[in-house]
Amino acid sequence: MGSSFVIRRLFQIIPLFLAVMVLIFLLVHLIPGDPVSTLLGDRATPDIVARANRELGLDRPLVVQFGLFVWGLLHGNLGESINLKVPVLQLVTERLPVTLFLTVYAALIGVLLAVPLAVLAAVRRNTWVDVVIRGVFQVGLSLPVFYLGLQLLTLLGARMGLFPIGGYGVTFGEHLSHLFLPALTLGLNLAAVLVRTLRSSVIEVLTAEYVEFARAKGLRSSVILSRHVLRNALISTVTLLGLNVGALIGGAVITETVFAIPGVGRLMVDAIFSRDYPVVQGLTLVFALLVSLVFLATDLLHARLDPRVEAV
Amino acid sequence: MNRGSIVRPSTVRAALTLLAALSLGQSQAVTRGGQLTYGRYADSLFLDPVLNDANLDIWILTNLYDTLLQPTDDGKSVRPGLASTYVVSGDGKSMRLVLRSGIRFADGSPITSADVKWSLDRARNPDNGAWNGLLESIQSVAASGNVVTLTLKHPDPTLPSALATFNSAIMPQKLFAAAPGANDAAKAKAFAEKPVGSGPFVLSEWKRGSYMVLKRNPYYWKKGEDGKALPYLDTLRFEIIPDDNTRILKLQAGEIQGAEFIPLSRVAELKASPKLNMMLFPSTKVNDIIMNNRPKLKDGTANPLSDVRVRQALNYAVNRDALIALVTFGTGKPMKSYMSSATPLFDASQKGYTYDPAKAKALLAAAGYRNGIDVTSMATSGSADDQALLTALQQMWGAVGVRLKIEQLDAATKTARYRANDFQMRTGAWTDDIADPSEITGYYAVSGATEAAHTGFRSDAIEKLFDQSQQETSRVKRAGLYRQIQTLYTNAAPTVYLFETPYPVALTKNVKGFIQIPLGYNIFERTSIEK
Repeated sequence: MGSSFVIRRLFQIIPLFLAVMVLIFLLVHLIPGDPVSTLLGDRATPDIVARANRELGLDRPLVVQFGLFVWGLLHGNLGESINLKVPVLQLVTERLPVTLFLTVYAALIGVLLAVPLAVLAAVRRNTWVDVVIRGVFQVGLSLPVFYLGLQLLTLLGARMGLFPIGGYGVTFGEHLSHLFLPALTLGLNLAAVLVRTLRSSVIEVLTAEYVEFARAKGLRSSVILSRHVLRNALISTVTLLGLNVGALIGGAVITETVFAIPGVGRLMVDAIFSRDYPVVQGLTLVFALLVSLVFLATDLLHARLDPRVEAV
Repeated sequence: MNRGSIVRPSTVRAALTLLAALSLGQSQAVTRGGQLTYGRYADSLFLDPVLNDANLDIWILTNLYDTLLQPTDDGKSVRPGLASTYVVSGDGKSMRLVLRSGIRFADGSPITSADVKWSLDRARNPDNGAWNGLLESIQSVAASGNVVTLTLKHPDPTLPSALATFNSAIMPQKLFAAAPGANDAAKAKAFAEKPVGSGPFVLSEWKRGSYMVLKRNPYYWKKGEDGKALPYLDTLRFEIIPDDNTRILKLQAGEIQGAEFIPLSRVAELKASPKLNMMLFPSTKVNDIIMNNRPKLKDGTANPLSDVRVRQALNYAVNRDALIALVTFGTGKPMKSYMSSATPLFDASQKGYTYDPAKAKALLAAAGYRNGIDVTSMATSGSADDQALLTALQQMWGAVGVRLKIEQLDAATKTARYRANDFQMRTGAWTDDIADPSEITGYYAVSGATEAAHTGFRSDAIEKLFDQSQQETSRVKRAGLYRQIQTLYTNAAPTVYLFETPYPVALTKNVKGFIQIPLGYNIFERTSIEK
């Protein structure tokens, strides 16, 4: 695969970025409610609200505000949080690693659960094994993330005391144990999606002619499974996994609240409710960048697994 | 029958004396050291006492900063703080405060009267924050030796309370000036990252959105029961746990020793837990339905709520006891005035509104609404309390012909709407920040800049009485003025009084000496963890 493919895909991110920037700027400014009134609450007089708006430049025309925002971006400045009075970039660098840790952790758990179980269900299709695996994940798929999270917390955290209840910890080991339950919550949800697709692709490949041929050649079934079936079945799964990482970040918003994790998901929720414009704008751009990069990585992986892709 | 009426005052006195003796005996054996981890529902935003605005900061600032005077534990008056005495001149136009000797900031540097002058001048600067109005009566501040003299524009009965309020905190001028930044706001930002005050604790680490660690201030001036300097705890750690259930789970699992904002629906369950002390601290929190009193709504339609009889009818049609049982799970108490019973100068003789649907119907009929009225109330979406409250009111008001429509909005939109007077009714709540009735009165009853809580209500009689009360130095006369204001307000009924609610805090059994005062401040200076 050539580097031109990567460069082409990277350039495609730029217009997406511009669109996201304009859209999010307009959206957050056009919804009713402003950060100053929300922050100052009931006690503030109109004078005080007006003065604060002036100081923050929120009384200027939207076009000017947008210009300043873009000017700041070009200088690597995402602005400053109105509520917390610290640079948005600082908030992002503090909180993003937490969310990324959680997302990767959840994706790993999801894949490690889904791949073997999907293959097992496919190989033993229509037996009780298949029915149980599919049944369990169907339930997992229909449970809301917050409910599943709370149940896991109560059972494995509070009752059995196996894992800490929420928080992030300080050392790597603590991160692993603190984030296990939230990662499992998100991972189960992801695995439920993956198992369905992976199982049907495995079945599809298992019945393909080249597999029949391999079998006829006398190859051992474990070799067939790992070399031929899984490699081909994974193509669709990788795409699906890529698409679902976006959803994982979305799911992190709820998970981070339930599990008291100081990530960007919770920061985003707080910022939206308090109309902290710079934080919402900055985070949206970071999310857009992240999701674009994940999609790019997915495409690259897809291309690697299936050489036909690059020709397209 | 009210069980309280059987108990004789003398019995109560005896019991209280016994209790005091017992607690004294207990506190002499108080344990020093250790760490208390306390679960908060949200993190502080900005730790500057002058420029901040949110309860999230205010309720924590008193642990970091100290004031010249301090609110008492019942939130109703003040006691000496950094100033050991204060004297108001005969004409009420100056106040002389004497600083304690040997007091220091948490870095060991002495607190001088120059620090006090600088802090008060900064706090009363109209360019700084929303709270400078509390110190508006000060003409000038003079510092000499350990004496600070305030010259006043007019006698001000609220000044002692204002000097006991968070925004009058005394800060170290030199350290603040040494912080990087070109102007006050920039320096405040830098200083608030690593604030040094003279409160019982000093900030040692702050991971935003996750936790905040406070260490004991070794130079704190107050002494404990054992004669040594407070606080008892070595470390105070605030963990941010936004989800109510998670906060409770962590407490039950012993991962934290205290948790705030326990949902009222779970108070009874936690009270029954042998491992926990479920505390309901008296608060100044009042909950009401705030009405638009203007003749026309923003969209030009006629507003039946501009008729005082309709507003009274809505008050008579509320069964407060039922609401208290339903919405507060029995933890609230009926409001009898626009201010809470924990507010100084609350008039205990106020009758408030009884539940009288027949009277409500008659008043509506007298106002010409024999067929009832349609009203709409804004609610905060996602608030279980708002939902329960308005659904119950729908039933109660429905019985007298008032058809209530509920409009769910997120908090920021709701705020924007009522600030623009674009509403008919909304759910509302208030807590006092200062140990004086003027703050809540200024917001609810006086027209002023916020048009009486954005109701548009105005009573010339109340305006006049309030102006008088702001300069009346006799507490007795001032109480009389406030009695009249409360009566006038109740009769005019610009809002629907509902109920007062406490601050629900759950602590593990080994935690002693924590209080949340009616103004909301969390006081950890005498908190200890017993073995």
